[in-house]
Amino acid sequence: MRSAAKYEAAQSPVVLVPTVDRVLSAVLRHNATLLLVLVFCAVAVVGVFVIRDLQTANAEAQNIYAVSVQGLREIGELQFDAQETRRATLYALTTNDSNLQLEYADQSRDADRRVTDGIAQYMHQAKLPAEVLLAGRLTHDWANYLSIRDEVLASILEGSTKEAVSLDLSGGVPSFERVRQDLNEVKRSYDDQASQRLAMVVGTSRRSAVRLIGILGFTFLLSSTAVWAIQRSRMLSAIQLAKLQMEFVASVSHELRTPLAVLSSAADNIADGLVEGKADLKKYGTVLQNQSRQMSGLVDQILLFASTEDRKRRYVLQPLEVTQIVEALEASTHELTQGAGFAVERHIEPGLPQVMGDLSALTQCLQNLVGNAVKYGSPGRWIGLRAFRGHAEHGEEVRISVSDKGIGMDRSEIPHIFEPFYRSPRVNAMQIHGTGLGLSLATRIAETLGGRLSVVSELSVGSTFTLHLPVAERERLEMSGVGSQPNSSKQT
Amino acid sequence: MGRLACLLIFAGLAALLFAAPGHEAASSGPPSGPEQTLPTQPLAIVVNRSNSVDDLSSTELRRVFLGERSHWPNGRRITLVMREPGEPERKTILRDVCQMNESELKNHFLHGLFTGEILVSPKILANAVGVRKFVFNVPGAIGYLRLSDVDNTVKIVRVDEFLPEDKGYKLHVEVRPGN
Repeated sequence: MRSAAKYEAAQSPVVLVPTVDRVLSAVLRHNATLLLVLVFCAVAVVGVFVIRDLQTANAEAQNIYAVSVQGLREIGELQFDAQETRRATLYALTTNDSNLQLEYADQSRDADRRVTDGIAQYMHQAKLPAEVLLAGRLTHDWANYLSIRDEVLASILEGSTKEAVSLDLSGGVPSFERVRQDLNEVKRSYDDQASQRLAMVVGTSRRSAVRLIGILGFTFLLSSTAVWAIQRSRMLSAIQLAKLQMEFVASVSHELRTPLAVLSSAADNIADGLVEGKADLKKYGTVLQNQSRQMSGLVDQILLFASTEDRKRRYVLQPLEVTQIVEALEASTHELTQGAGFAVERHIEPGLPQVMGDLSALTQCLQNLVGNAVKYGSPGRWIGLRAFRGHAEHGEEVRISVSDKGIGMDRSEIPHIFEPFYRSPRVNAMQIHGTGLGLSLATRIAETLGGRLSVVSELSVGSTFTLHLPVAERERLEMSGVGSQPNSSKQT
Repeated sequence: MGRLACLLIFAGLAALLFAAPGHEAASSGPPSGPEQTLPTQPLAIVVNRSNSVDDLSSTELRRVFLGERSHWPNGRRITLVMREPGEPERKTILRDVCQMNESELKNHFLHGLFTGEILVSPKILANAVGVRKFVFNVPGAIGYLRLSDVDNTVKIVRVDEFLPEDKGYKLHVEVRPGN
C-alpha cells in the first residue's frame, strides 16, 4: 500500500513548529526557571501537607488535653474532695468541742459540694451510653453516702460518738467504697479514652511521617528527573547540532569544491593557453561567471542564515501587492527554472488584499521554496505558483504556495525539514546536494514577518509549500498612505 | 463592849435600809442615776428544718431547756444548744424560760446527769453562727438566736403560738452596743 502523508499546518501543529519542539525549546530556554518552578511547586505541596498534618496533630493534642487530661485532672480532684469529705467527718469524731466539730462539719460540707458539682459536670459532659450510666450510678451512690454522712455528723454533734461510729461502719464505709469504685471506673474510662486518642495521634504522626517521606522522595525524584531531562535534552541537542554542523560543513565544502574545481580547471586552461579564440574565451567566461555566482549565492545564503540566527533581524514592513511579490519572485528565479527546464504555472486570485511584508525578504523566502521545487521536482519538472485568500485564527490572510510534482516526502521526514542543517537520508542517497538551510531560513523569514510556512506532501507525488501572510490592516494602510509613503511602515 | 454592840446594831439597820426594793443595783455597783431602758430584739427559738414541731408552750419549752424532755414526738433525741455563760441570749433563756440563774442551772444539770434523769448536757457554742450551723446539722437540735441571726437553714418555733415578730412574744434580748 502506498504511503500517503498530507500535512496541513493549520490543522496539524506538528508541521511547522511542533508542540514537542516548542516544549523542548522552552525547556532549553527556561530550564533554570522551570526547575525552580518545579521545586517551588513541590515545596509548596510538601508545605501544605506538613501544615495540614501539624494542624491535625495540634487539634488532636488539644482534644486529648481538653477531654482526657483535663478529665483525669478533674477526676483526681473529685477523688481528693471525696476523701476530704470523709476525712473531715471522721476528724469530728476526735473532739468533744462542739465548735471544732462544727468546723469539721463545714469542711466536710464544702468538700462534698465540690464533689457534687464535679459529678454534675461529668454527667453533663457524658455522651456515650456507658458514660451516662456510670454518671447516674455515681450520682446515686454519692447521694447515698451523703445521707449517711449527715446522720454520722448529726450523731457526732449530738455527742453520740458510739452511734456515729456504728453508723459509719454499717453504712458510711460501704457507701463510700461504692463511690470510690465509681470514681475509679470514671478514671479508667478517661484513661481508656486518652489511650485511644493517643493511639490516634501516634497513627496520625506515623502517617504524616510516611507522607512526608513519600512527598520528599517524590520531590527529589521529580527534581532529579527534571534535571536529568534538561541535561539530556541539552546534550542531545548539542550532539544533534554538532552532527548537523559537521554535515553542514561537509555539504558546504562539497558545494564549494565543485565550482572551485571548475574554476580552477578553467583558470588552468586559460593560463596554459589552451583556450583560443573569442568564442572559447566567452564560453570559459560564462562558466567562470556561473560558478562564481553559484558560490556567491551559497555564501550569501549562509550569511543570511547566520544573520537570522537570533530571529531579531529587522525588516521594513510595508503594504505590498501580492502581484508585486510574485512578479519579483518570477524575475529572480526565471533563470533558474528556465535553466532547469521547469514549466512555471502562475495563478493569482483576483482582488487579493495587500499584505504586510518586506519585498526583499519575501522574495528570498519564496526563492528558497522555488529552489527546492527545482531541486526535488525533477520527475514532473513543473512548478505551480498560486496566490489566494485564506482564513486563519486571527483573521484573513493571503497564501502564496509553491507546488511541484517531484519526489515528495515521507511522513516521518516532515517534522524535521524545517530544522537547520537537516538533510533527508533519502535525498542524500539520491546525491541531491544542499546545505539544509533553505527551509529553515524560509521559516525564520516568514515568522519574522508575522507569517508562517506550511507544507502538504505526498511521497512520489509532490509537495506544496505555502507561505501564510497577514493582510495589511486598514488602519495601518491609512496611516502609512498606501503607495505614497511605503517607508513609513512599522519595523518589526 | 457596849460601843461595839451599838456599832453592829447601826450597821444592821443600814444594811436593812439599803436592802429595800429599788436599791439592789446600787448595792452591787456604783450609783447610776435614773434607770435606762435598753432597746430589745426578739430571741427566736430555732430547730432543724426537718423537725415537725412548729409550736411549743412556755411550759414545754422550759422542760426542753431543763433537759426534762429528752425526745421529740418523732422519736428524735433532743439536743440542746446553749450559748456560753454571760451571753445576753443565755441570760434571757435563764431568766424567761428556765427561771434560774447560772448556778441553779448548773446544779440542775449536774443532778440530772448524775441521777440519769437527763441524758445529755447542753452543747455550748461560742457564737450565733455556730448555733445556727449546729441546728442545721443536727435534726434533733433546739437552740435560740436573735431574730437578726436567723436564716433559712433553721426553722423558728412559735412559743405560746407567738412568732418573734408578734406583739405578745415574750422572749426578748437586750441590744447593747457591740452586741
